Amino acid sequence: MSDPIAPVLHRVGNRRHEYVLAPEGARDWRRGRVPGLRRHWLKWRGRYNPRTLERERRLDDKRPLWWVIGLGALAVAAPLLPDQLLQVAVVFCVFAAINVIWTLIIGAAGILSLATMAVVGLAAYAAAAANVFLGVPWPAMFPIGIAVGLLAGGLLALPSTRIDGLYYALLTIGVAEICRVSISQIRALAPTNGSINNVGSFIPQEWYLQRPGLLLGFASAFLMLLAALLLFRVINSERLGLQLQAAREDEEFSEAVGIDYRRARLHVFLISSAALGFVGAYYAMLYQSISLNVFSLNQLLLMFAMIVIGGIGRAEGAVIGTAIVVVIDRALIDLGPLRIILIAAVVIAVTLTTHRGLADARAQFRGWRDRIRSERRAARTRKGGEFMPEEATGIADKQRIAYRRFDARLRARLKALITPELIEEHRRAPLGPHSDGLARVLNYFRRGEMPDKYAILQDGPPEAWRYTVMALSGVPGHPPRVVDDRVYSTRDEAYHAVFLLRVNDLLES
Amino acid sequence: MDATLIVYALNLSAIYALLAMGISLVWSSIGMLNMAHGATFAVSGYGALVLGELALPAVDALFGGWTILPLLRMAVLLASGVGVGALFGGVIYLIAFLPIHDKANFPVRGLIVTLAINLATVQALLWWFGPRQQALPNVFGFGRLELLGVPVRYDQAVTIGATALLLAAVLGWLRLSRKGLEIRAMMQNPEGAALSGISVRRTALPVMAVTGAMAGAAAVLLSQTVFVSPDAGAMPLIKGMIIALLGGLGSVPGAAIAALLIGVLEAATGAIPFLGQRMVLLVQFGFIIAVLVVRPRGIGGLLDETRK
Repeated sequence: MSDPIAPVLHRVGNRRHEYVLAPEGARDWRRGRVPGLRRHWLKWRGRYNPRTLERERRLDDKRPLWWVIGLGALAVAAPLLPDQLLQVAVVFCVFAAINVIWTLIIGAAGILSLATMAVVGLAAYAAAAANVFLGVPWPAMFPIGIAVGLLAGGLLALPSTRIDGLYYALLTIGVAEICRVSISQIRALAPTNGSINNVGSFIPQEWYLQRPGLLLGFASAFLMLLAALLLFRVINSERLGLQLQAAREDEEFSEAVGIDYRRARLHVFLISSAALGFVGAYYAMLYQSISLNVFSLNQLLLMFAMIVIGGIGRAEGAVIGTAIVVVIDRALIDLGPLRIILIAAVVIAVTLTTHRGLADARAQFRGWRDRIRSERRAARTRKGGEFMPEEATGIADKQRIAYRRFDARLRARLKALITPELIEEHRRAPLGPHSDGLARVLNYFRRGEMPDKYAILQDGPPEAWRYTVMALSGVPGHPPRVVDDRVYSTRDEAYHAVFLLRVNDLLES
Repeated sequence: MDATLIVYALNLSAIYALLAMGISLVWSSIGMLNMAHGATFAVSGYGALVLGELALPAVDALFGGWTILPLLRMAVLLASGVGVGALFGGVIYLIAFLPIHDKANFPVRGLIVTLAINLATVQALLWWFGPRQQALPNVFGFGRLELLGVPVRYDQAVTIGATALLLAAVLGWLRLSRKGLEIRAMMQNPEGAALSGISVRRTALPVMAVTGAMAGAAAVLLSQTVFVSPDAGAMPLIKGMIIALLGGLGSVPGAAIAALLIGVLEAATGAIPFLGQRMVLLVQFGFIIAVLVVRPRGIGGLLDETRK
């Protein structure tokens, strides 16, 4: 045997071939595992192909491949880009990391917080101030950023348990504004218009804005994006994320089975805020300065546009949306204010047409296509049409499909045999002997299914039998029904009447 | 608190009430959070500017020398602002409401679309008119009149008076007209209203137009003291939104009370020496967060049922 999966064909009875599905499952279950964990790398599944009935191996979730292709292409292509586009790639990585973490807050925790940039900015300012004014070395800026992010997250989380949904969203819009105003009040920053410059960095001073510095910046930003994606995966698809998913579907039920979803939400919010604080400290180091622009309402709206275009709640949505907006905003810089209008137009178009952003567009299209198909199928069946096997993917028993196909072909052949001469032959001798054509037609009729099969009722006195045609219900306990009110005096007449009804049914089908 | 401060507070409250009630009305009747309200504000300001430049010379030529000339000029500006605001409300209706109002997830999608309209409009204004701030023709000069022994600037008097008239007209329209009855039915129970034959689409258009007109009126009235600029809408939008929140989204009387509270708070904060004008926003936010933590549905939660 060359391939154990291929169907083995046996001779069974007088049928020429019968499928036997190879019960060799081991191959389908050979999947690699992540070292140290019980998770699989890829979601391989074994199944039977409904068309060919062959056993096959299928990748049920192809998203990991797309991630590898997309991020790999970015990592390979970016070092080849000119300086200006390399900076766009750096901006993309930083914003994508922020948006992926933000997606955790909005999507996983379900807290519609718009204070993301406020947290990033506060952490950036705190870390930069510690470096410039207190002389803290640059590696220590990361813990400072994380601590400030955690603190800001804790403060922001306080009202979130009381105030829900849109109320909270609208309140958090104002937080960035408050931060901007408060920092612009600080006297020490007044000479530089609120910004802190000459922040220490992991990029050496002599490399700053030079090619090696840009490459180092890109490498670090790319690593940070990977770390953000890992954080998303670890939180969203493990215990915390599953608890929160249960709470999103039904809060009362998840509480009843012992999930403390408020605490889970708070944890996700705090973890994400700490991560945003890290990004803030990194942001200050990358550009070696931090200004009040980070708090501006327009910046916030742009970030919001990014996650909205991709679709709220999914990491791939955040990254796709960021890519689209960053390319329009930074790479097409010649367009001026027009590019913001373009972004707004993209947001409007995406929101009006898709239910949950671009990342979900494929599933939405498939749902729409399947609905249209099933509507058409229903319309055809209503009109007395047949399921064609190609469409009947919902029928698990493939023998039924094969039988229907056979039946349809057989009926088409028999219809051609029905002629006035054939009917006349049956009228003359209902019980035979018959010609070959009539015998074939009658054989088909005898094999008919029990529901609506015709029967002859004989009643009346023995010297004057009366015959009427009935139709069986096909269901035990349900009596047959009378087909029409015609009464026949001889049995042969009744036989012929049943034959005519059958022929009629055949020609109509 | 001296009397000029009270007048100043009333002036602010009047503008805020116009904005917040527009936002509240839209939310309670058609369930959309109109983030493009600020854009309506800015567009109407520019509309009044452009139309005013066209119409005011003709008015001056016709009625030159009449004593009510300033009032007539104000009426022309108001009419153009209100008209442009109502038209822009219709535009928002066409883009953000009509295509998706019966689709899944409408509240969030409506919020996103109106936010995008806001963004696009501000940039379009910036592109067309440039970033320069422009002043509407000053109608009243800087004179004052004595009212019950209190010195009141002319524009403050007109703002307070016109707002009171406008709000009375809108509330009367809601209370007395057939359309108002339909809108109130939709506020109470959208499904019940639809079942008794009230078309959501036909009711939403006048709601959007009227709230747009209110924003337009606010823009013209405010532009007597503040300049018209492309992002002039941002601050009124944030203020109007937080006042609507404080009043309890969807409660019209709640919005009026909240506007009064916030106006007084802003005037008082500005007057206290060590807080000053720059801390106004901070104090307002602190106040609102405090109120919302105590009463998550705002002031309106006390007054009546708000839309959930």
